[in-house]
Amino acid sequence: MNLQQFLLIAIGMVFIQNFILSKFLGLCPFLGVSHEVKPAISMGIAVIFVMTFSSIITWLIYRYILIRFDLVYLRTIFFILVIATFVQLTEMVIQKVNLALHKALGIYLPLITTNCAVLGVTFLNIDSFFVNAKPVAGSFLYSVSQGFFAGLGFSLVLLLMASIRERLDLCDTPESLKGVPIAFITASIMSLAFMGFSGFRF
Amino acid sequence: MERKRPLKEFLKGLFRENPVFVIILGLCPALAVSTSVENALGMGVAVTFVLLFSNLIISSLRRVIPEKIRIPCFIVVIASFVTITDLLMKGFFPLVSRGLGIFVPLIVVNCIIMGRAEAYASKNPIFLSVLDGLGMGLGFTLALVVISMVREVLGAGTFLGFLLAKGFRPLTVMILPSGALLTLGLLMGGINLIKKKR
Amino acid sequence: MKDNFFVSFSPHILGKKSTPKLMWRVFFSLIPAGLLGVIIFGLKALWIILLSIITAILTEGLIQGLAKRRITILDGSAALTGLLLAYNLPSTVPFWIPVIGSFFAIAIAKQAFGGLGRNIFNPALAARAFLMACWPFYMTRFSLPFSVDAKTQATVLTLIKDGKISHFSEISLNYLDLFLGFRGGCIGEVAVLALLLGAIYLLYQRIILLHIPLSFMGSLATLSWIFDKQGFFKGDILFSLFSGGLILGVFFMATDYVTSPLTKKGKIIFGLGCGVLTFVIRRFGGYPEGVSYSILIMNAFSSLIDKLIRVKRYGEKKTT
Repeated sequence: MNLQQFLLIAIGMVFIQNFILSKFLGLCPFLGVSHEVKPAISMGIAVIFVMTFSSIITWLIYRYILIRFDLVYLRTIFFILVIATFVQLTEMVIQKVNLALHKALGIYLPLITTNCAVLGVTFLNIDSFFVNAKPVAGSFLYSVSQGFFAGLGFSLVLLLMASIRERLDLCDTPESLKGVPIAFITASIMSLAFMGFSGFRF
Repeated sequence: MERKRPLKEFLKGLFRENPVFVIILGLCPALAVSTSVENALGMGVAVTFVLLFSNLIISSLRRVIPEKIRIPCFIVVIASFVTITDLLMKGFFPLVSRGLGIFVPLIVVNCIIMGRAEAYASKNPIFLSVLDGLGMGLGFTLALVVISMVREVLGAGTFLGFLLAKGFRPLTVMILPSGALLTLGLLMGGINLIKKKR
Repeated sequence: MKDNFFVSFSPHILGKKSTPKLMWRVFFSLIPAGLLGVIIFGLKALWIILLSIITAILTEGLIQGLAKRRITILDGSAALTGLLLAYNLPSTVPFWIPVIGSFFAIAIAKQAFGGLGRNIFNPALAARAFLMACWPFYMTRFSLPFSVDAKTQATVLTLIKDGKISHFSEISLNYLDLFLGFRGGCIGEVAVLALLLGAIYLLYQRIILLHIPLSFMGSLATLSWIFDKQGFFKGDILFSLFSGGLILGVFFMATDYVTSPLTKKGKIIFGLGCGVLTFVIRRFGGYPEGVSYSILIMNAFSSLIDKLIRVKRYGEKKTT
């Protein structure tokens, strides 16, 4: 795995192909949890964690089970069940190990199961780092970093939006634009701003 | 339970409870695949198909599925139909399928489908559930077509691929992600405005 | 409540009426740079500036009228937005570009958020990014200074980015040309000397403070000096500061009260962020110039910066 490719994945996933602003994955939790900064931070951490580990697990399953037994066409069902199970297990473990952490993250974990960002990144990993059912060189590490940085980009935008919406709550935005519409307009201009990174090369 | 009128159940998904504009569900595909009217129609049909059959199956199994593990059961049913749709589209409409990309398999986590399964199909008889699924699916399609129409006409100067006016310099931004967010934000604002006036 | 935004910021004791005075002062401090721009690029630049300002004022009036708000089109803020947008356009754009841009700036980036003092992003810069995304072709054609036949040419930064030249002296420019503004570029960004005079006036009047400009220029200059394309510690500091739209962005757009953090510490972080991002986009990004995008991105961060700085100041525990 070379550094250049790694940096491209990092910058690409955080800024250029940001999951919220450019790929439109995970918009429901983005709108649902971006009212305040504090929950946004918790949600962000949970998403980074789940996306990284889902990338690891689904990669292994795809490589060593689905390809081996010629079940590639079942990946949608397999992946969603695996992610749901993983999230459920994580929630149970956290609850047993650390109650404070569970209080902070607990309610967000189940929500993540239906977050299309998680399932989306695992599909993206498979689509970009497997060619004809064979992993490309460094495929595993690329997948993991893509999962991590996609989660990081998601969390960054979630956090920014939460801080902006906290401020917008104090302002008298036009009545019909309050709430979701103005959040979308803000996201739109944010997306324009992030276009400054397009065409990145090293 | 009061008797529900079938026609009303069907029509509510189209306007009064439109999944995208009013209940705010299923936004990810609504923004991602609305770059052209063609893509929007393809996505709308796929979602309507899955919604119709998942509502049908879940409603007919509603007395069999145990309460506690209903969510995993729903997921399995939905995922099966999504897989079928994905394979059918790849086989018969390879171009549309490629245009929609990972958003076809991602229908599985589309909140509209899970939402209707949980909120409607698991509690209502088969016939009404099918109508509900059809209405919601068509409502989703309608929303997608409206969004994609704005985006394609302004952003590319075309409608379903036909050039509308010569000499028009399209606002390229509208087919970019930023334009999708702007379109949806303004459309939602406009709908709020109309609702308030009434 | 937010109308008092300016009062709490400035060291002067100012009444509510001061917003127009403030805006018009910034407006007038920008006029010398515009005049030079018109002299350098010809009369067309003047029409672009006027169209942009008039559209901005009309849009503001129209929307405030429709929304039945108090009409404040003469407070100078709309005029200033129009002026700044025009300064960020090349002189070769067709006349409908400033019109659409100004409409977007006022209608979407400002009034949709509730008007003056509520906008998250600098309206002029948001409009510029919007125009860039729509019509990159028109937005990147720059005419040569004093050219009669409106010949167009790539800017120095573009040439360097494309690897066609490695130093600006290769296309027979010198530091004095850069300083006076005799180069290709946007209407209001080239006249560095005139912009600096305006900035000094605003600093003297305490309308802007030095935190953002110093941290912005400092970080950009340091990074461009150390990590130059030619090798470490070989960058041309003066060139990095006087080229592109840096001076205009640093003093007149990054310092916008509404879209930058409130506290001094926050302002310094904001400026550092702008500098680093500008360097990164100039050096690695697809666009030759990154000033406006950097400021726009940091606008998105400024609410968060305010939030985090304020938490620390009161000695509360960190929220994480």
